[in-house]
Amino acid sequence: MSAHAQTDSVGHATHTAPPAEKRSWLLTRPTAKTGIVSWLTTVDHKKIGLMYGISALFFFLVGGVEALLIRLQLAVPNNTFISHQLYNELFTMHATTMIFLAVMPLSAAFFNYMMPLQIGARDVAFPRLNGFAFWVFLAGAIVINVGWFMKSGAPDAGWFGYAPLTSKAYSNQFTHDMSTDLWVMGLQILGVSSVVGSLNFIVTIINMRAPGMTMMRLPVFTWMTLVTAFLIILSFPAITIALVELMMDRSFGTAFFDISNGGLPILWQHLFWIFGHPEVYILILPAMGIISEILPTFSRKPLFGYPIIVFSGATIGFLGFGVWSHHMFTTGMGTVATAAFSLMTMAIAVPTGVKIFNWIGTLWGGHLQMRTPMMFALGFVWMFMMGGFSGVMHSAAPADAQQQDSYFVVAHFHYVLIGGSVFALLAGIHYWFPLIFGRKVSEFWGKLSFWVIFSGFNITFFPMHFLGLNGMPRRTAVYDGNMGWNDANLIATIGALILGVGIAIYFTVMIYTYFKGEKTSHDVWDARTLEWAVPSTPPPEHNFDVIPTVHARDAYWYEKNHQAEIAKEQAAHAADEASHGGIHMPSQSWFPIIAASGLLTGALFFVNHIMIGAIAGGAIMFLGVYLWASEGPGGYHIHLDDKNHKKH
Amino acid sequence: MPLFLGGWFQWLTGPQSTFDTHGPVAKSQLDVFYVTLWVTGITFVIVVSILSYATLKFKARKTDDPHAAIPHQGHGNPLIELSLIGLSVLALVFIAVPTLKSIWYSYDIPAERKENAYEVNAIGYQWWFKFEYPKEQIDGTGTLVAANELVIPAGRPVRINLRTTDVIHSFWVPKLAGKVDMIPNRGNHLWLEADQPGYFWGQCAEYCGESHAVMRFRVIALDEAAFATWVARQKTPARSVAADAPVTGSPAAPYEFKNPGRNAPGWSAEFDAAPFANWEKQQNVNAGENPALIAQGRQLFQQKTCVSCHTVRGHDFNGTTAPDLTRVGARTTIAAGLLENTPENLHRWIVHPDEVKPGNKMFVGVPMTGGTTMAGYINLDKDTGKPTGHNIVINDDEARALVSYLHSLK
Repeated sequence: MSAHAQTDSVGHATHTAPPAEKRSWLLTRPTAKTGIVSWLTTVDHKKIGLMYGISALFFFLVGGVEALLIRLQLAVPNNTFISHQLYNELFTMHATTMIFLAVMPLSAAFFNYMMPLQIGARDVAFPRLNGFAFWVFLAGAIVINVGWFMKSGAPDAGWFGYAPLTSKAYSNQFTHDMSTDLWVMGLQILGVSSVVGSLNFIVTIINMRAPGMTMMRLPVFTWMTLVTAFLIILSFPAITIALVELMMDRSFGTAFFDISNGGLPILWQHLFWIFGHPEVYILILPAMGIISEILPTFSRKPLFGYPIIVFSGATIGFLGFGVWSHHMFTTGMGTVATAAFSLMTMAIAVPTGVKIFNWIGTLWGGHLQMRTPMMFALGFVWMFMMGGFSGVMHSAAPADAQQQDSYFVVAHFHYVLIGGSVFALLAGIHYWFPLIFGRKVSEFWGKLSFWVIFSGFNITFFPMHFLGLNGMPRRTAVYDGNMGWNDANLIATIGALILGVGIAIYFTVMIYTYFKGEKTSHDVWDARTLEWAVPSTPPPEHNFDVIPTVHARDAYWYEKNHQAEIAKEQAAHAADEASHGGIHMPSQSWFPIIAASGLLTGALFFVNHIMIGAIAGGAIMFLGVYLWASEGPGGYHIHLDDKNHKKH
Repeated sequence: MPLFLGGWFQWLTGPQSTFDTHGPVAKSQLDVFYVTLWVTGITFVIVVSILSYATLKFKARKTDDPHAAIPHQGHGNPLIELSLIGLSVLALVFIAVPTLKSIWYSYDIPAERKENAYEVNAIGYQWWFKFEYPKEQIDGTGTLVAANELVIPAGRPVRINLRTTDVIHSFWVPKLAGKVDMIPNRGNHLWLEADQPGYFWGQCAEYCGESHAVMRFRVIALDEAAFATWVARQKTPARSVAADAPVTGSPAAPYEFKNPGRNAPGWSAEFDAAPFANWEKQQNVNAGENPALIAQGRQLFQQKTCVSCHTVRGHDFNGTTAPDLTRVGARTTIAAGLLENTPENLHRWIVHPDEVKPGNKMFVGVPMTGGTTMAGYINLDKDTGKPTGHNIVINDDEARALVSYLHSLK
């Protein structure tokens, strides 16, 4: 936290620094602590994390409904429930929504909420930028989804939008199409959000760790946050370039992918997948981080082989940039390239397998508490392993020639994305719910939701392996009844409905618990890492009364076992901090949301080819950023009295 | 239990099963798959056993016991960790070796067999396949062209050059070979070989727009003699039945047409029971041809402007943007491998093409260079995407005549 003693006209400040220069009302920073304004202007990483979480869960449900519609259409052969066109929109939007609007932001929610707590910080390095990242995410989500409410419909080119299906010559063959432009602009805006957020996390983790929190003492979830953030800033430029090229093709007549002018659709595939494969790890590494927190807590043992878990995570991130063409084994790359990417893909199985071994090592000799988060975590290890093994099958390019773009692939990536990422995120919600809300989900309902989700998931996706090996291509709105696909499809649809029921139970119970759940102490699981060292639940605005000093890898576990030492140390630090003016907190601001709204309006006008509006949107954004820079650093101090943690 | 296993067995024996291989390329790919299956399967069983054992053995009996002993706080064991890494690498080597061998094998026809190889071009269109036979030149018209049913010689390697005229498609006949994409401005190829004569199902395997799901095709492998006969016959102009020719055989039973509606199936169990024999039967001229009706159909083919897109070689119909129909009567399927080629199905396809294959260009028109559209059955308003009028309307009687004509093209 900056020791900068600048204050402005914020009422909470009781510091004796020289009075701040007088600023106009426009540049006065808002101070609302409750109500809608407090959320719109917030810079608190916990509030931003919650907003990420709630938006992500909303889109998770939207994507889930899209999936159920897809499964209903495929329940029986030759079904007429939905049209081919709508089906194509549904699978495009299901994937886009689940990847960019559900799993990524849900991971971002945990990054935001947990990472600063895990490193003993009071906020992220750039609090306003953090708010900006969220509002930009929301803008992108709106742009991508707004097509549902427009004449041209939702995007329908598939989530990897293979050129030249996205070019004007094909998407606009018979009608003026806007959906692809919405998809391009929406993804571009989401990319801004991801990169901004990631830079913030990287700076935070590098610079704002509590004293004693060395890199090799970071909780694994924070490590995975760091690796994921690097993956995002290194991989998103590739898709940004691809999307800019596509936008130029569609709006200004260039010919990057326009085949009649010599464009090369294969270029899109390389650019997309050099982003797209790291993206896979962007989705799974945070999940691995969550699992690496939950397993030790409920085994009551430290993580087995921490350094190897950390280095394997980093290795996966690094190798993740060298395997993109395994998505392109059927594009006729030639023997040498195919062989190289085949071997690289096999290589990446090693650090992934290492994690599984170490998780089992963590369980070994432990004292396993079978609580709901632990159930989801163990479910993750099983299901992710199955997805990993079908992934190894894909790495053998000749076998992949039969599996690519078949339901076998669909089964594979749902095992790693639901059985992997989603199980871990659901585990994380259960695990951290008591910390965030001070209430605990009933074990009965939690475990019930787990078993229903677990069975529904397997009933849905296990038969898809057989569908793929029996020759059913993915992305097909209808199939004939003579292909031997009927039983497996019907079973998958029934499974999907069970999965839907499980998810419904899960969230109903969560909502119930939020209002009526059993109140708990904040350390309900006897946890090990620093986020549990907050003085109360929900955590106070300033997170820690005293910035903790870290003495061991499982910092909070150490704290609990050395209370006398820690108490003495904290008293000294509190006095020290008070002498520097108390706890310094960042001020709220209107400008993140204003700048983000400029992006939203600009994008919507651009898609409609109203360039004056697009320019106006850009102007709003730059004005927002300019005023943001002009409003000054702000900041205020919190003073705690001795008895309770009241501000004054 | 046997019933249960029987059910699973059936799940892997469909017409596009990757397990029921009929050629060396698919076989080589399946062998690699089996290696991956064994290696990952064995590893899975071992790891899951250990995981289950650990879960059961170390499970706390009473989860809420606050006095439970705290387990040893060990941080890991480098020796175990490194040996497991070594074992994983070893397991992958087992997969890597056959993988590399098969990558080279499946990429191109082995050198010693190239001499004997046959060559065809497969060209993807939204949403059908054109097949060219560059080795079969027809005097005056050029290369022999077929559509949606690829006939190849069995027992000979076949190199298939893969091209596309519009978006990316992917050529996949699971029983003969894994897929390779057809990518614009890029020359791809694959090779395959059918061990025995046979009839094989194929399907586009890369999402290619609205009707991707119904872009299918067939491959028919013939023995050397039958293939030569087939080629020789293909090279001749379309069969003509003179309007005043006597009716051959007893008159064909008139069929009742009732539109079965959108996405309705177009296959029959009778055909599937013996597809290859049925293909052979399909080559014969139908009994009970009605020459007058056929002649009327031939006229309608002109009047309804079918001719601007379709070729019937020898009948002065030379359109090129749509499938060649010179031998359409001898094909076992229509609408790109989707519907069995029965009179009812052909009637349905001609009268309600949009309900069979939504967005198909016969119905909505063909976009031409320069942004114009050659009209199909309907005119579309580009702003609203709604039809503004009908260009081609075919009533049931006209359809019967067209069906008779097209089915006479053997």
